[in-house]
Amino acid sequence: MQDSISFFTGFGINDLLFLGEAALKTLWISALSIAIGTLLGTFFGWLLHEGKLVASFTIAPILDVFRSVPLIIQLVLFYNFAPIIGLNFDPFASGVVILTFYTAALVASVARGGIEAVPASMRRASRSLGISYWQDLFYVVLPIGGRAVFPAWIGVVLGVMKDSALVSVLGYVELLKASQVLITRTQEPLLILAIAGAFYFALSYPISRYANKFEQRWSK
Amino acid sequence: MFDYNFHWRPVLRTLPDLIQAGLTTLEVATLSMVIGILLGLCLALARMNMTGPLKWLAVTWIELARNTPALFQLFFFGFGLGAIGINLTPYTIILAGLSFNCAGYLAENFRGGFQAVPDTQLKAARCLGMNAWQAYTRIVIPQVFRVVYHPITNQMVWAVLMSSLGMLIGFRELSGETQFFASRTFRIFEYFAVTAVLYYVIVKLILAVSRLLAMRLFRY
Amino acid sequence: MKFQLSALLAAAGIMMSAQTYADTLDNVVDRGTLRCGVVLDFPPIGYRDANNQPAGFDVEYCQDLAKSLEVEAEIMPVTWSERLPVIATGRADVVFGATSDTLARARTVGFSIPYAIYFSQGVVNAKSGISTFEDIQGKRVAAALGTMPEQEWLKIAEQWGETNLYQSYQSENEVFLAVAQGKADIGLTTNTAVKAITQQYDSLDPGPRMPWTPDYTSIVGKRQDITWLNYLNLFVTHQVRSGRYNELWSKFVGADQAPELRIPGVLY
Repeated sequence: MQDSISFFTGFGINDLLFLGEAALKTLWISALSIAIGTLLGTFFGWLLHEGKLVASFTIAPILDVFRSVPLIIQLVLFYNFAPIIGLNFDPFASGVVILTFYTAALVASVARGGIEAVPASMRRASRSLGISYWQDLFYVVLPIGGRAVFPAWIGVVLGVMKDSALVSVLGYVELLKASQVLITRTQEPLLILAIAGAFYFALSYPISRYANKFEQRWSK
Repeated sequence: MFDYNFHWRPVLRTLPDLIQAGLTTLEVATLSMVIGILLGLCLALARMNMTGPLKWLAVTWIELARNTPALFQLFFFGFGLGAIGINLTPYTIILAGLSFNCAGYLAENFRGGFQAVPDTQLKAARCLGMNAWQAYTRIVIPQVFRVVYHPITNQMVWAVLMSSLGMLIGFRELSGETQFFASRTFRIFEYFAVTAVLYYVIVKLILAVSRLLAMRLFRY
Repeated sequence: MKFQLSALLAAAGIMMSAQTYADTLDNVVDRGTLRCGVVLDFPPIGYRDANNQPAGFDVEYCQDLAKSLEVEAEIMPVTWSERLPVIATGRADVVFGATSDTLARARTVGFSIPYAIYFSQGVVNAKSGISTFEDIQGKRVAAALGTMPEQEWLKIAEQWGETNLYQSYQSENEVFLAVAQGKADIGLTTNTAVKAITQQYDSLDPGPRMPWTPDYTSIVGKRQDITWLNYLNLFVTHQVRSGRYNELWSKFVGADQAPELRIPGVLY
């Protein structure tokens, strides 16, 4: 065997860059799915609130499926289903689609709770002051209900950010997949897992602390 | 229209095996919930009432469990611990990982539950001549339990969904079994579609049982 | 990112015409890229180099194939269990993944003539005390999910009543790690990997050769697409005739002479 080829190489500076790049990919796929998913979920939440019976027989069961089937199964299923109907999705696109719907399903119930957190008497009062339905929705319900469910929404955001690690099963090289690649190449599981774990923690912990503080201040 | 031929027969032939694996999923989820509830209680009490290293252990545990991906935690219990010579079987890896995770989340639920029961209750119980153990087990815990009943149900659902990560560490619960069969027949879509349905049924069963139990437990 | 956004839009509503891609050869030439699935978990045949870039015998073969078609190669890393579904669902044009040409697999995908031959061999933990095949009885065995060693081993394990001692991992590298850490006593792999692996780890030794037949591995393409499979056959013979097969084999595997690809006593 030639000496120039080696199949296992130690952990180097390159690999830190590789991990950093992967961390950005984690951020990017989570940010994208959370942004679209939140908009979509808020819309669904509004439908659930307004649609009453109709909604509870149409979109409610569909959203329920996204919450009752493991994310990993959803991802594998969609990734393998898309090409069958002729959509040539790469792991990133498949991941975004499923994570978006997953987020939307979780946000929908949060948003519905938010709308219902605004007392009906307050909404009637604002309507009787002459505001239109949409003005009421944007200037009364959104600020008051939004604040009430903000910590719950942060919970969803953090959950999705951590769950984005599962897109690795499709071969998308995000943070956890990158650390797996490096572990198999460098054979130093503890060091690499510690770096990856520290990154997730550094991202998630301050946000959850902030949400806690917010909740405490709000409940006073 | 499709350039893909669906083959459902191999899936239906192995359906009994899949259902058997579904029972394994339930077993692992239930066991880790039992361990998680016990540990979670200890962690919550340690976080609230202790000082020094025990408190810090509890806080670290809770925050690590809540702020890193579950898959990361499983990798840690697998190859991470393996690197320092502690080798767990896939079954113990998933059990340890799920219990660790559930304990962290449940601890915070319990903490909220304890805070919802006013101090005066405990004082009143002690005034009536109960000792600390009696006061806790007969007065405080039952009330806490009522508060955390729904979060526990949710966590049980999460435990079932999370156990699907077993397929990534070579554990043959429902997802692992599915992946194993799919890898032999290459019918990924068909197998995972059936498995998604099975998960849905399991989750609905848990919710139904929980509702029935709640009706028996919390009659006024 | 533009492509991905447009792909999302496509998902949002436009039901793209699910036309049948009957002729992969035309499609590849037309598209200008060859989508090539490679298992990067199988040093020295497929692995990641120090810059985390794909490298190895299969990767070079993929690039040679793309060159022969005058298109760009797009390397798509796949796991052992994914490598056939990516063909069945049409996500890749071709897979180089040390894929044994079993009849069971041929029901789902199409195979070229063999392009490489392997033997199954174990790597054992130095403390396991395994030196012959019979020693494996009662030991913990690991292999990668969806590989031929896994399937062959499970047949034997069933006879011995030892299926409970079998562990399957997502990747071959995880198998080696598991054996090195002592999670398993023996990992099933192929002869080409054994040398590299045992040099890397002090705790691993070469294990016994497995008793089943040699592993004739083929390039995988869509089953229905005969013209594409014909092209792949021709490609394999050209690689051998031009000496490229020998050159790459000695570069990556290190043997002086690449194994003869002919199956004794069979005309094809």
